[in-house]
Amino acid sequence: MLPSEPGPAESGTPGASGYEAAGEDGTARGRPEASDAALRDAATETVRLRTLSWPSRLVVALAIGGLAVYATVHLAMIFLYVAPSNTVREQAEGARDYVLPEFEQNWKLFAPNPLQRNVAVEVRVETSEPVGGVRVSDWISLTAMDIENIEGSLLPSHADQNILRRGWDFLTGAHTDEGEPIGLRGELSEAYLRRIALLRLSDTMDVTTVERVQFREARTRVPAPDWRSEDFDTSTTYLPMDWWTVEPEDLPADVRDDAAEDAS
Amino acid sequence: MSDTPTAPAPGALPPSPFKGLSKGFDSALARGIGHVTRRTLGPHQTAIVRIGFAVTMLTFLLREWPHRGELYGPDSPWGFDLAARFTANNQAFSLLLWNDSHLWFELVYHLTILASVAMLVGWRTRLSSLLFMIGVLSLQNRSIFMGDGGDNVIHLMAMYLTLTRCARVWSLDARRAARTPRDATDPAGIALWALSGAALLAALLSGELDSPIWSMFFCGMWAAHAVWWLLRRHAPGEPRIVADMIANLVHNAALLVIMCEVCLIYATAGWYKIQGSRWQDGTAVYYPMNLDYFTPWPWLTDFLAANGYLVLAMSYGTVFVQVGFVFALLNRRAKNILLFVMVGEHLGIAVLMGLPFFSLAMIAMDAVFLPTAFLLWGGSRLRLGAERLLPASVRHRFAAPPPAPAAAASLPGQRATERETAAHR
Repeated sequence: MLPSEPGPAESGTPGASGYEAAGEDGTARGRPEASDAALRDAATETVRLRTLSWPSRLVVALAIGGLAVYATVHLAMIFLYVAPSNTVREQAEGARDYVLPEFEQNWKLFAPNPLQRNVAVEVRVETSEPVGGVRVSDWISLTAMDIENIEGSLLPSHADQNILRRGWDFLTGAHTDEGEPIGLRGELSEAYLRRIALLRLSDTMDVTTVERVQFREARTRVPAPDWRSEDFDTSTTYLPMDWWTVEPEDLPADVRDDAAEDAS
Repeated sequence: MSDTPTAPAPGALPPSPFKGLSKGFDSALARGIGHVTRRTLGPHQTAIVRIGFAVTMLTFLLREWPHRGELYGPDSPWGFDLAARFTANNQAFSLLLWNDSHLWFELVYHLTILASVAMLVGWRTRLSSLLFMIGVLSLQNRSIFMGDGGDNVIHLMAMYLTLTRCARVWSLDARRAARTPRDATDPAGIALWALSGAALLAALLSGELDSPIWSMFFCGMWAAHAVWWLLRRHAPGEPRIVADMIANLVHNAALLVIMCEVCLIYATAGWYKIQGSRWQDGTAVYYPMNLDYFTPWPWLTDFLAANGYLVLAMSYGTVFVQVGFVFALLNRRAKNILLFVMVGEHLGIAVLMGLPFFSLAMIAMDAVFLPTAFLLWGGSRLRLGAERLLPASVRHRFAAPPPAPAAAASLPGQRATERETAAHR
């Protein structure tokens, strides 16, 4: 026990709680009237609950009850949100509304199985030529730029680890297997990816000439460990998306500003 | 227990194990109520969680300073227009969605850095924890596709910490409280309260703060501080004690929620893994070690991933620790061992997988279960080291802070016993 902890010796009754003392000692039912002056300088920790007036005790009791109920409801909602689909969860549609957006929980870290393939996002652009006509570039791996920055870094940046990786997850989640966008999320995710690509390409080329962009996913399965008998096909497969037209607001802000200056 | 079982007389029924159960339950309940109303439980644990998350966020913000515009600024590829449309229907709170000017963004980013520093040193923590939460939510909700599990933990804990009395120890607040009488006027506190009230009013009048829940929360916090100040000055007797008890209750409830949240995180992570074939065949850890995004040191991860027995041990160990953690809380020693293993695992993840801020957030979260004796020992060692390093003229300004106002109290599966203290000497 630590020195500052009020022991039985300090509080004067066996057991630290006033309730307990009142329960055990029948004669203590008529509570000793503690004057307000006596409580003036008392540390809360040394105050026996039974010395408080009835209204005060009621307030404390209501606070205990209210907080207990709310904490239970809060935890139950979070539990239902992370639990697999089950009898209760199927009826409790409120859990999702309660948890999102601020109490979001996403803890299936590498579960049920870790990702077993390297996913690289590649892009090519169609530019208008000064002499007329269009030119299509080679495929450029945006993911390779991320990996280059991550390798050998003790403190990798979210800009390299998450923007493109999670952006692509968002896009594939917001598209059908046939590559059709689903609702608002699909539309926003396409704009997001176009902007990521143009921002990165703007370092090496004049992106104002880009008319359209096309993305593809390059999937390469991680080979099975040496000590396992599985034999996976580890060749890279490509999943191309449609060509998307570049909108003026997809250009990086500084490029847009420069273009506006040139025009004026 | 005093009633050690004695062999019953031949022929007599053994004593009922339920004897005295209701009386025992009553007294345990009364003792529990006495604890949660009158004491700020786990003052050192909440302080270390506060410091841990403040350090995590602060180092993160400083590290990302060169990338801040790309991540959260108006020129991010996740543009203001996209973010505004995406969050229009989910009511997520973010100051950065109020205005797309560069100045506003820089202001919010740098104020979040300041709030993290204030949280770290425990300066006006009731206010700075709110500002810290506002900053964290503003950045993360502005660009929801920038984060990972670590950001998710910071997001939750930033909210929970606003409800705790996390500056009872190891803070400037604790130092000030020990040096000034309870009914001191505190002009700086009044000025901060008035300033935050003005900011809140401006946010409400401008119509930008339009979520009813958030408006109620901020107004309630603001009003509560006025009431608390008035009670301490003008009603220092029973009303102050009742208010103090309610603050204790809120703190203790928030602490319980934080602990349950940690359990839910590990339970979810562990139990879903059990269902995965790769975790079952013991090769799971091999795969992330071969993903380009999570191998900043390929030669090191290749070396580790080449050993089948090591990979099996790490895969099974991870699942075992994550699933077992909740149950280990029932036993103090088992809990401490698992805690030690988990912190070690997160340190490994920090370096091997290149996830330092994720790991730091997880360790800060785990710290809520650290034993009080260990925290006291660590705190005193740190202070001793600092005193040796600092010149004498500076030293007296950082004189040993006062002991915890509330005693280090028992948390689930935890008890600061003499035996434990002795073990750490």
